[in-house]
Amino acid sequence: MAVQVQKQKVFEAAEAEETPQTDTVVGWQGIRFQLPPEWNVSAFSMDRDNGSLRVDAPGSSSLTVQLRWMNAAKPQREGPPTAYHYLAPLFRKWLRRPEPAVPKTDLKANIERILKETAKTAKKAKSTFESSLRTEKLEGPDDERTAINFSWTGVGRGQGKIWQCSVCNRIVIAQVVGLSKDQAAISAVASQLFATLHDHTADGFDLWALYDLQIGIPEDFRLEEQKLLSGYLHLTFARGGEKIIVDRWGLANVTRKKFSLADWFANNAFVSLKRLASDEETIYDHDAVHYAGKLSLFARLRLLRDAKTSLRRFPTRYEGGIWECADSNKLYAVQVLHSRKTEGLWDEVTDRCVCH
Amino acid sequence: MRMPLKMRLYYAIGRYLPFLKISPPNVDRQATLTLRPGRNALLTWEKSETGGTMLTVPQNEKAGRITKAMAKWLRAPTEKRVELDEVGGYVWELCDGSHTVETIVQKTGREYKMNRREAEVSVTMFLQMLHERNFIGFYKKTKKS
Repeated sequence: MAVQVQKQKVFEAAEAEETPQTDTVVGWQGIRFQLPPEWNVSAFSMDRDNGSLRVDAPGSSSLTVQLRWMNAAKPQREGPPTAYHYLAPLFRKWLRRPEPAVPKTDLKANIERILKETAKTAKKAKSTFESSLRTEKLEGPDDERTAINFSWTGVGRGQGKIWQCSVCNRIVIAQVVGLSKDQAAISAVASQLFATLHDHTADGFDLWALYDLQIGIPEDFRLEEQKLLSGYLHLTFARGGEKIIVDRWGLANVTRKKFSLADWFANNAFVSLKRLASDEETIYDHDAVHYAGKLSLFARLRLLRDAKTSLRRFPTRYEGGIWECADSNKLYAVQVLHSRKTEGLWDEVTDRCVCH
Repeated sequence: MRMPLKMRLYYAIGRYLPFLKISPPNVDRQATLTLRPGRNALLTWEKSETGGTMLTVPQNEKAGRITKAMAKWLRAPTEKRVELDEVGGYVWELCDGSHTVETIVQKTGREYKMNRREAEVSVTMFLQMLHERNFIGFYKKTKKS
């Protein structure tokens, strides 16, 4: 029995070696970076202007990557918004005045405030706290980032960076946190994180990547709804009334035994597919079903009900498709509800979806 | 895993009367992954044509003579049948007492190309459900074994 178990362990180890693990790509709210394999997003915020993201190491490792970002061009208001807050941009647009210059943020003061809070935690746990700040420097291909590196030891250990980007006006604080004994691992993860971290995109498409899903969405679309379940991911993005809906189901080989692609999509599509033109095509060498056409009156009324305040870019057309990726054993569906002016959006989004 | 009713009541008392200092033990994730699920020997199972697995659960096994007589008189069913889907059947086959939860998670993840996190959540939830119905039990590896 012992020999059998030993053999089994050797076989499992060999199997594990056969499958090369790729780095984890994380993309959220315009921020993207790479981490070692099997890291997973564990906490996130839905806000693009002022938010946070946390990514945890696999297994029992205590390493985590924490990110916070805020828009320097939209400073946080204290108290409720005033009439000035609403009217100033309108008057500025009407009078064709330029946007006010973004004030340069005191990064050192910001990071010192955060370190002070960390020191408080260390003091409560009765452990000594030490921190060090490097000098401010310019980074990036066009020196667009003003950055300060920092590190601390207290309850655990952390290595991070704060910077302000002059292109997207974001202030980003990123740090890798772990136990005191994890110094080497923290340094390795931090160097990979800072080498691959980007806070804005060059081609106008934000990368949204988590749990092995990678898709490019136009940067002016905002995340409206998400469902991140085991075996099912759902993301809805909106720009005015226009929507992009991305779904991914796991265990495609099990699902497809009972349903054809068209049946599965018909059961899960945002609108009724009965009157839409359908055709079979190939996406990334996978068989796909594609639907396109005008939205029915019923669907438009439903969208009108959901449109809360604005009818800007009200969608009148639908384009959607589903394909099965046998390599990753997953079903991918991308649906676009768009206005007459935005043709070709489905193709642009689908071209930026990495399924395997 | 879900606790027996007696223990749940015991810890509920501890929650409302904190000075008694009764609190449930902390469940360590790492320790849970080293447990070895084993099937209930009373259950029989067979593969169905659709790819699923059919479990046959005997009823009234532990019932007394009177209950058994009543069940016979009322023609109560003597067994219950539960159908597991393909993935459930795959996990069920691995619950033989020799595989740890960790191994089952890894194997299921590899077989169905699932992300490690997805596989762990799905498998542990499924095992928890089987345990609640007394279909499986967990062996804990001790120093002697």
